[in-house]
Amino acid sequence: MKRSSLTRQLIGGVLLAELICAAVFSFVAVGHEMHGRRRAFDVMLRGRADSLLGAVQDAEDPDDNVVVDPTELVLPRQDVYAVLNPAGRVLGQSPVAPPGLLSGPSGSNRPTYFSFKANGTWYGAIRFDGVRVIDRDDKGGLRRPVTVFYASPTRDLWHEAVEAVRFYVAAGALLLAITGIALVWFLRRRLSPLQELAAIAGRVSVHSWEFVPPGAVLRTSELAPIALSIEELLKGLRQSFERQRQLTGDAAHELKTSIAVLKSSLQLLSMNPRTAEQYEAGLEGLLLDTERMEDLASRMLALARLEEAPAEPSESSDLQAAVHAVAERLRPLAALKQVVLEVSAEETDKVAMQADDAEVLCSNLLMNALQHSAPGGHVSATVHIHNGVTELRVVDDGEGIPEAALPHVFERFYRADRSRSRNSGGAGLGLSICKAIIERSNGTIHIQSAVGKGTQVWVTLPVAPTP
Amino acid sequence: MRVLVVEDEVRLANNIAAALRERCGFAVDCAENGVDGAALTEYRNYDLLLLDLMLPGLDGLSIVRQVRRRRDMTPILILTARDERAQVVELLNAGADDYLTKPFDLGELLARAKALIRRGKGVSQPVLTVGRISLNTVEQTVRCAGHLIDLSPTEYRLFEYLIFRPRAIVSARELLEHLYDYNWQHHSNVIEAHVSNLRKKLRAAGEQTSIATIRGRGYRLEAPEKQL
Repeated sequence: MKRSSLTRQLIGGVLLAELICAAVFSFVAVGHEMHGRRRAFDVMLRGRADSLLGAVQDAEDPDDNVVVDPTELVLPRQDVYAVLNPAGRVLGQSPVAPPGLLSGPSGSNRPTYFSFKANGTWYGAIRFDGVRVIDRDDKGGLRRPVTVFYASPTRDLWHEAVEAVRFYVAAGALLLAITGIALVWFLRRRLSPLQELAAIAGRVSVHSWEFVPPGAVLRTSELAPIALSIEELLKGLRQSFERQRQLTGDAAHELKTSIAVLKSSLQLLSMNPRTAEQYEAGLEGLLLDTERMEDLASRMLALARLEEAPAEPSESSDLQAAVHAVAERLRPLAALKQVVLEVSAEETDKVAMQADDAEVLCSNLLMNALQHSAPGGHVSATVHIHNGVTELRVVDDGEGIPEAALPHVFERFYRADRSRSRNSGGAGLGLSICKAIIERSNGTIHIQSAVGKGTQVWVTLPVAPTP
Repeated sequence: MRVLVVEDEVRLANNIAAALRERCGFAVDCAENGVDGAALTEYRNYDLLLLDLMLPGLDGLSIVRQVRRRRDMTPILILTARDERAQVVELLNAGADDYLTKPFDLGELLARAKALIRRGKGVSQPVLTVGRISLNTVEQTVRCAGHLIDLSPTEYRLFEYLIFRPRAIVSARELLEHLYDYNWQHHSNVIEAHVSNLRKKLRAAGEQTSIATIRGRGYRLEAPEKQL
């Protein structure tokens, strides 16, 4: 993909606007100049024609004619002229008088201007009808009407115009060049914070999250929001990345430890010759280790599955049935631990989760309660509807959770007392799985606990949308 | 030799302890959490500490720091499921002597444990000699001029402990502390009986090296001056 450059676009835009301005200005200026020169030219023509009129004199001949006597006139050599009487007779003319000179329009009393071409040269011409008074006296003298044609080449006029255009073009080009250079320099200087920002942002990687926008960037009102949002984004990304890394590390730790147990058990068994009973006991232990590892793996996979996608609208299950089923399954364990397990569940609407997940949820919560209860303790599970929301409450009067550990209980692989839960088979994933199940169904889970008094977990779940 | 294993994964701790007892003849104590482990190290009865890095209560690194702050020179071998380099460097700098990543090979663990104990006692070879007697810590055998001397496991352990410290007086109490784990009922006359048997067996092999009883103070492995 071809990249467009802001700097180049800016410079191009400014220069184009300036070019158009310069062109329009030059055009108008040249037009104005030309108009003025044309007027001056016409006035000059009129003046010379007038002085030519002054040169009309009595011819002192029998017909009482007049002639043009140019001897006293100083007229440019390249000018041409002709003076005619009303009858059309030429009274006088320049040594060279091209035929186009007399082609001027007639019939008007006012002077008329026209142009013609002769011998490859353009002429600007004037024609006017004037009256020459000869021998002016009290009676008025002799009045001789004549028509004067006077023309001068316009070559100089055009030459001057071209000169003027040239000047304007040169001045415009110089201006453009100066503006261009100044713009490049200015933009480079002013856009340096942008480049700094890009350089700093470019240095951010998975291994280096360092992103400190320089002061020049933060002082620029257009760049500050970008820099701040990048900073914010990176902070969020970094936290999520660290969490993920921590999680992977924890998962690896759990798996490696499990494998270490298996491996060392096997190596210990094969280290010395053993009796059949010893082998049998060893194999039994290995089977238990393997089951624990299997459980760990299935829990990790369950968590990954739950966090992958939100609940489907078609999923719905009966929480009441799930609680009863799980409680029945756990009764032998409760009896063994001498804990009283009470279940009171009223008929509720279906909640939006898979039946398996509902059982896992109840089972995890009840197992936790049982495991942390002393003989003679009570564990109760209730399901009821409160304000149109299904509520599941699991309460025990067991050992409780230390206050420092409470904020972490939903974190994966977190164990308030690691050694103890390890022996009871947990990997610190039970509550994380519960939370994932509940969040998948848009529910909430809260936990309250006091050391020595017991723990209370309550879950609220919205009613499943009726299909 | 007596080893402390601090590992919260009980099955793993039991396996390590069983292997150390069976293959090396060491006395082994186990602790399930960092706090108990750290408390046990304070008695200084151990010839090797085997610590897991991630422990409930107190982590392995903190125990290493505590031990080294007391100027306790006991060799420390760390077990870790994480092998991030920075962490390993931090551990070694804090005073740990070696580390193994889980899942490890049990044979390698035993070899490293023995090597660390040897080093901790200033010996670099697995075979120790005094006079004409040589003790092979790998085979767990004692020979006199090439002839095998048949010793019971306890007698071997007793002799092994003494041969690491030739000519030094070792009290019966120290022997008890280093040869038996805390599940054992401590009776110093047990030591006296084993020392007596050991003495007899060495003499039967025609060895001049003998274990002298220093009344009220303990025992000393003595060899002819020029042979030591």
